[in-house]
Amino acid sequence: MRGFRSGFRLQLSFFRNYPDSLIPLLTAPLFTVVFTMVLRHGGRGDLSGYAMIAPFYMSLWWFAIFNGGWVIQTERWEGTIEYLVAAPVGFVSVIVGRISTMLLAGAVAFGEVWVFGRYVLRTNVTIHHPYVFTASLVLTLIAMTTTSLFMANLFVLSRTAVTFSNSASYPVYLLGGILVPIALLPGWLQPATNIVFLSWSSKLLRGSLSAGPIQGAAFDLSMIALLAVVALGLATAFMSRILRHARSSGELALR
Amino acid sequence: MMSSLRVMRYSVLSGAYDYTSIYTWKSWLGGWLVRVMSQVTFFALIGRLLGANQQIWFLLVGNAIMIAAMEGVFALNMVSWERSTGTLPLIAASPTSPVLVLASHGVYLVVDGTVSALGALFLLGPVFGLPLPWPRVLLIIPLTILIAASAYSLGTFLGGVVLGFRGLNSVVVNVGIVALMALCGVNVPLDAYPGPIAWVSRFLPITHGLIAVRDVLAGDLGAAGLQALAEAGVATGWLVLCVLTFGRFVQRGRRNGSLEFAT
Amino acid sequence: MSPRPQAVTVIDLVRTFQPRKQPAVQALDGVRLDVDEGEVHGLLGPNGAGKTTLVKILTTVLLPTSGRAEILGHDVVHDAKAVRPLIGIVFGGERGLYTRLTARQNLEYWASLYRLPGAQIKARAAALLERVGLAEKADVKVETFSRGMKQRLHLARGLVAGAKVLFLDEPTTGMDPIASREFRTLISEIRAEGATILLATHDMVEAEVLCDRVTLIDHGRILATESPRSLGRLVSRFQRVDVEGADRELLDRVAALPGVESIVESDDGHRINVDGDEHVPVVLKVIVEAGVVDVRTSRPSLEEVYVGLIGDRGLEV
Repeated sequence: MRGFRSGFRLQLSFFRNYPDSLIPLLTAPLFTVVFTMVLRHGGRGDLSGYAMIAPFYMSLWWFAIFNGGWVIQTERWEGTIEYLVAAPVGFVSVIVGRISTMLLAGAVAFGEVWVFGRYVLRTNVTIHHPYVFTASLVLTLIAMTTTSLFMANLFVLSRTAVTFSNSASYPVYLLGGILVPIALLPGWLQPATNIVFLSWSSKLLRGSLSAGPIQGAAFDLSMIALLAVVALGLATAFMSRILRHARSSGELALR
Repeated sequence: MMSSLRVMRYSVLSGAYDYTSIYTWKSWLGGWLVRVMSQVTFFALIGRLLGANQQIWFLLVGNAIMIAAMEGVFALNMVSWERSTGTLPLIAASPTSPVLVLASHGVYLVVDGTVSALGALFLLGPVFGLPLPWPRVLLIIPLTILIAASAYSLGTFLGGVVLGFRGLNSVVVNVGIVALMALCGVNVPLDAYPGPIAWVSRFLPITHGLIAVRDVLAGDLGAAGLQALAEAGVATGWLVLCVLTFGRFVQRGRRNGSLEFAT
Repeated sequence: MSPRPQAVTVIDLVRTFQPRKQPAVQALDGVRLDVDEGEVHGLLGPNGAGKTTLVKILTTVLLPTSGRAEILGHDVVHDAKAVRPLIGIVFGGERGLYTRLTARQNLEYWASLYRLPGAQIKARAAALLERVGLAEKADVKVETFSRGMKQRLHLARGLVAGAKVLFLDEPTTGMDPIASREFRTLISEIRAEGATILLATHDMVEAEVLCDRVTLIDHGRILATESPRSLGRLVSRFQRVDVEGADRELLDRVAALPGVESIVESDDGHRINVDGDEHVPVVLKVIVEAGVVDVRTSRPSLEEVYVGLIGDRGLEV
């Protein structure tokens, strides 16, 4: 628990001291403007709720990769990882603590787009299904966090981490149906959307904003939860292996 | 003059070489190009939500060309990169104008941006049924290069601006790109903006060039020519601004010591 | 009653590295070492000798290929969890600190990782920053620190949890002579507080001044473990009397004294090699009575020992 708290607080001070960390909070309002403009100019102002939800996911994804995913690798570059391993507090708990700040960052990102959309752009949105909405939101934040943890480990093992970080954004937005529902994607892409938890999440959030009944909410929620658990399982499997290998090969620190 | 050209040539080549160390053919195609195509598709599909083909095509063209501009803005990173490798003070102290060196170092961005943008346009256009009338569609190629170069001038100028501030270049790049997406008629036509904003857009890269591209596709080559000239004017303007102010930015960086540190 | 465990025990430690597509590197080749509690023990050797590898294994950061090591009775491989709260680490260098955080923020974070109670963390960090001379820069971002300042912050971090065994790896690299001297004073204070210190270095003066015993290591093997003074005996068993301004007649008289092995001309006078401490007083008496006052006795310096045993490699690493 100690390690978790220390890591959590450390990451919060990174948010304050590295301007990069907060890029999504600056770009999200701009994206909201772009999407809203397109929808309103195209005569579908009634879909402006979509324009608010998409930037939230874009922020989440950014946090997951750049704040969470790179945590272990940056410790290696900074040269702090050996000290971390040698400290009494568990290495894993510190990393988990650092990445868990995503929950907070994601919540702030959501608050921001909501306030901006509702009160600045005066978008007409009502949450017709508050329980589903809240449940989806919470599960999404959790899933994003466990996915980020998985990525933190993946980036240590994979040589294509940099390429992935720069390239994964829009493909994931597409497969996640964050703005345009996945039904509008070509048929051959549909299966891939199932393993991207964003697709289940965006379906639920959009559904909660419309007046009609929501179909299959329980199933969709459990899919998000399942994918969150899968990410967590993979992360756990990798993390101890990485640590053991690093200690025995002497490749903890990167030169 | 000759030595300046030599410096520029070397700078261009070294920038291109560095680029190959970031991307291989496989990672460029499988990573970068996939991202580019996804980005354009992401926006184009909004048109499907809206219903008409015209909407889809408008968004498709706008966002494909935007890719070239996006890479142009990456020029900002060139400047910061020089600072982090410690070569900026050396360039600033050398007899050749620093703007020349920095500007040439990132030329590969203009090339890459153009190739990516046109790749997206010509690969996705047919998928969405966008009419690409031959042969006038070839005019889009020089227009795209112009737009990329125009954004590149802006990027280099911004690179100078952030010289005095540590750790800000990533922020400015990202915010800058999305701001251009929002302001330059990429996703909605210029007349959709309130008056004052439309005026600001006219002085930003992309705006005129993009209208020119749309005019070419629509067959109005005369109007396209005028817009291309306007874009060239905007590009020149930012370049001149860059040359005029860069020295001062470097001075400021020298004064507050920020030239030395890595970002 | 069982004897108290040694602070550090190393038995037949072997560590091989297998870099990709390169031949294997034998960093440690059967190292045996004992460090007593409260001792300041130097690890002296050139770059690549294996000092850092040994320190990393002892601090549980690296696993050995074979052999055993214990810190205060706890095995570093199987009982790493028990070892970690007991040790402090100072690897030094440019990296290892969060550069965009302040000195204070860095230190408080590490203090929390060493399970210091929340109430104590701020006070301990402030006290340590004061102690290493960084109090004025406590709230300045580390990225602006000079090399020497970073070294001091590394040292503060090593001390943050009141470690029983402190590992220092080249701690004064990059420090100016005054800072180095202050650092040495600090080490003496820490030692006086009862800590055991293992100091890996290639600075002779530091080793000579600070260490109770010095272990010479090269190519992953221990060459010798002695006190700095007696290390000198490995190179020359003679006591030396250096004299300036002695004339021929005096020197001939001295040469005839019992125990005088030889007289050699040196840069600024003569060196008299005396075989055995017991003969030195007589030699000194003769010289002083002749009116010559420029007299010094010495043993071979650590540097001579080092060069003599490890050899002169020039710039080769």
